[in-house]
Amino acid sequence: MTLAVSLTTGNAWSIVIGLGVLWVLLGVWWGRKARTSEGFMLAGRNVGISLGAATAMATWVTSNTTMVAPLLAYEKGVWGMLAYASASFGLLLFAPLAFRIRRLLPEGVTAGDFFRMRYGRIGWGVFLVITLVYSITWLVTMAIAGGKLLEALGDIPYAQGMTLILVVCVLYTLFGGLYAVIGTDFIQSLIILIGIVFIGAIVINDVDVPKVHEHLSREQPALLDVLMPAALLAIFNNMLFGFGEVMHNNVWWSRAFAMREKVAPKAFFLSGILWFPIPIAAGFIALAAGPLGVNVTDPSKVGPEVAEHALGLAGLGTFAGVIILIVLFCSMASSIDSLLAATSDLLVRDIYEGLFRQELDPRKFRPVAATSIIVVSLTAWALALSGWNVDQVLFSAGALVASLIWPIIAGLFWKRLNRALVITGIVSGCVVGLIFYFKVQTYTGALVGAAISMMFTLAARWIRPSELETPAA
Amino acid sequence: MFSEAFLQFLVLLGLIWTGLGALTLIILLIRDWKRGELW
Repeated sequence: MTLAVSLTTGNAWSIVIGLGVLWVLLGVWWGRKARTSEGFMLAGRNVGISLGAATAMATWVTSNTTMVAPLLAYEKGVWGMLAYASASFGLLLFAPLAFRIRRLLPEGVTAGDFFRMRYGRIGWGVFLVITLVYSITWLVTMAIAGGKLLEALGDIPYAQGMTLILVVCVLYTLFGGLYAVIGTDFIQSLIILIGIVFIGAIVINDVDVPKVHEHLSREQPALLDVLMPAALLAIFNNMLFGFGEVMHNNVWWSRAFAMREKVAPKAFFLSGILWFPIPIAAGFIALAAGPLGVNVTDPSKVGPEVAEHALGLAGLGTFAGVIILIVLFCSMASSIDSLLAATSDLLVRDIYEGLFRQELDPRKFRPVAATSIIVVSLTAWALALSGWNVDQVLFSAGALVASLIWPIIAGLFWKRLNRALVITGIVSGCVVGLIFYFKVQTYTGALVGAAISMMFTLAARWIRPSELETPAA
Repeated sequence: MFSEAFLQFLVLLGLIWTGLGALTLIILLIRDWKRGELW
């Protein structure tokens, strides 16, 4: 199970606790600004482009990016790298939406505000079910990845490692709210970017690209195939999954509300540009496995295994595990903290205030927000501990989130729609997309979900449309 | 089949682009900080 890195259990504990203490101290420091609900949930709605772009990019760099991008390259070659890179288009496309979101909902707090206003309580309810299932599942996969990472790198028992990573992220999110999340995201994004470039440069130093190409064309020519059908299908599915994920999830809506109005579109566009090359750089590390003679025992860990081997060849044996752990820990923490903050915002704003119709005065806000963060984290912790196969749930959710793409775009830009038809389209897209995912081909789930809901949404523009609600002037 | 030149171009582009991304964030942070526009 463990990788052959020179990282002792004590060192692994020390690194995670050391970084954790740093994040918590920074969270407490930045959290002093979070005196109001606007401060805690939206960082005062005044975030600039540097922090805005970094937090959007870092949130989208998950353990999937640093672990699955090398796996896709290892199994599907050049197209695998490019397929994963296409997930950046979700961030790029969110840029114009962020502009419209700020115009349409100047006082908005969550994505739920948009659904409640444009599609009524039924549409809002459907959205909440989809987004809560998806967000909690995503959070659980991050917690599981964290536990497995510490087990593989530092021989820390899974339950202890998973709990440690969650506790660290919960603590600084509790103290600093979105200020802490955005501030730590900036540092984490720099560590991720520099770490990937550093490891990639070491790999190139050990084995140059012509040797990799020569090895692949001799041993695994399919990885260099220009027409690899499965990989080409993966591109479209990944892209639609990315669109649906970014467009619907409150992780990005809360950032759109947190940035200054003119900054939000630019920051999202920049974050997409910054994110695009990461799967390519990380994927190349896996392509070098063969020429470097790495015996890949578990393809899902091909990235860390090759990185460890290359860093060892470069004489960094003692620090190889440290570097890999820090980069992977940052990629997980930057997503876990964002999910904790954004999902607990949904509980506070949409469930506590919206569904239960509770008044949230300033004195009650912090205890309610803290309770929400703890509820979300405990749910994720319990599911991560259960050993339930959440990866399957997360991947199948591509059909659900892709069904929300067209209703979101139409709701943002069109004034008149048939609401019932749009909601029917979302539900139909989810059901048919899931059937295709499980019965036909996993790569078709998001494609079919998006196509079905698109047809209903387009029809809703022409069949008995009515004026959509807009915010009171 | 993807050529050696293309693979070399893609990998170098990925690494240089990623590195420039880090540099861009640092430059923007300094600019925002000087203007008092961090948050």
